[in-house]
Amino acid sequence: MIFRILFFYILGYLNIEVEGIFVERFINICKSRKILLWNIKMQKSVILNANISIKDYKQIKQVAKKTDTKITIKKKCGIPFILNKYKKRKIFAIILFLVIVLISSMSNFVWNIEISGNENISKEDILMALEEEGLRIGVYKGKIDSNEIINNIRLKREDIGWIGITIKGTNAQVEIKESISAPEIIDENDYCNIVADKNAMIVKINTQNGTANVKEEDIVKVGDVLVNGYLEGKYTGIRYVHALANIEAKVWYSKKEKIYLTQQVPTDTGNIEEKYSLKIKNFKINFYKTLSNFENYDTINESKRLKLFSNFYLPIEIIKTTNKEYIMENVTYTSKEAIEIWQPKIEEELKQQIENPDNIINKQTNIYENNGYIEIEVIYEVLETIGVEQKIVF
Amino acid sequence: MNKKINKFTQMMDMPRELDKKQTKITIIAFDELLIENYKGIMEYEEFYIKINTEIGVININGFNLNLEQLTNDDILVKGIINSLDIERSN
Repeated sequence: MIFRILFFYILGYLNIEVEGIFVERFINICKSRKILLWNIKMQKSVILNANISIKDYKQIKQVAKKTDTKITIKKKCGIPFILNKYKKRKIFAIILFLVIVLISSMSNFVWNIEISGNENISKEDILMALEEEGLRIGVYKGKIDSNEIINNIRLKREDIGWIGITIKGTNAQVEIKESISAPEIIDENDYCNIVADKNAMIVKINTQNGTANVKEEDIVKVGDVLVNGYLEGKYTGIRYVHALANIEAKVWYSKKEKIYLTQQVPTDTGNIEEKYSLKIKNFKINFYKTLSNFENYDTINESKRLKLFSNFYLPIEIIKTTNKEYIMENVTYTSKEAIEIWQPKIEEELKQQIENPDNIINKQTNIYENNGYIEIEVIYEVLETIGVEQKIVF
Repeated sequence: MNKKINKFTQMMDMPRELDKKQTKITIIAFDELLIENYKGIMEYEEFYIKINTEIGVININGFNLNLEQLTNDDILVKGIINSLDIERSN
């Protein structure tokens, strides 16, 4: 019963008023004709208020004639009447329909590719590899076979250890694990030499296996053999072994820079131009003149991709271009100022090359003053263990 | 024939109101009244309802009496029910 009434809320129902002397007869005839009435209320003993479905309303007219009652419609409820309202607003309905169709069809394409986990491989490189396999912006989602793409990329590229593709909405998330190329491990039973991997001066050499080729305070170059992988005995002759040694050496790191005392330094004037443009797939719409008013300027591009919900990316990008004006100014330093400014910078750059800055034992700074420019040279002396194993090839 | 069906329903322990001639009256908290298997409405006012059934007449007195649902077999009366009396016809 309740379900039937709920059903009529969807199909539409009418709130009617029945006026007449024999209202009870009206109800009884409705019952015998199987016309459903609900929410019947009596008002002033001659007026009856009731709900009736649209379908039964045609029949009820005949009943009203028979019982000599008057029927007036008070209210129209239900979805058919709501829809009727929008019949006049055709353009609204058409646009609503179009928007729904557009969104549902657009959600079948990939509009954004997110790449995460790459450290050494550039993003463009990965995007190119993905495009070759068919995953690019604007491709139909049903066409993408992520398993096949993963397999193909892993076969083609050795530097990618693992790749995962998940498509969420219109967003393809690509996760990458780079494979680390493992150093060649020489088996302990194989014969090998120890070779210098850096230009250095030997401080301490402690040979556990093999014959030392260098002495302390010897200067070695890259590729020089430090420990030979054989033992020589008076009676046994030459016997090859797996060389093993602990070699400490001083390694020099140096950097030399030429600094002019008069320099052209860019200084910001504080003038900024902001320009916006819209990019739909590959089609760009500029809202400005492309030429800038400034003579010298830096350009910063920021692009933002529009998205509807958290993962529904639209193929529309807003690009904000900021131009910052600067003027080249001639600045003259004294040699003292120049050293103060540039020396820490050189030191900092140099320290990045050193694996372990704690082992620095000596620092040397050479400054050569010339006409118009100075040269700063920084040398670090670092204590390191050197030597790599190299297989002996007979 | 009728008696046979009666016996059958008794044996099977079926609800008696399945028989069209048996009326069932259910009252909930004196403001909801359900009558199953009725014949017709004899009188209907805001304060008084007279309902005809196979076994007799049911009179309901009260205020703001509405016929909430009206189907072929049942009537659901809602409102403030003051008194209810039945007149046995046989």
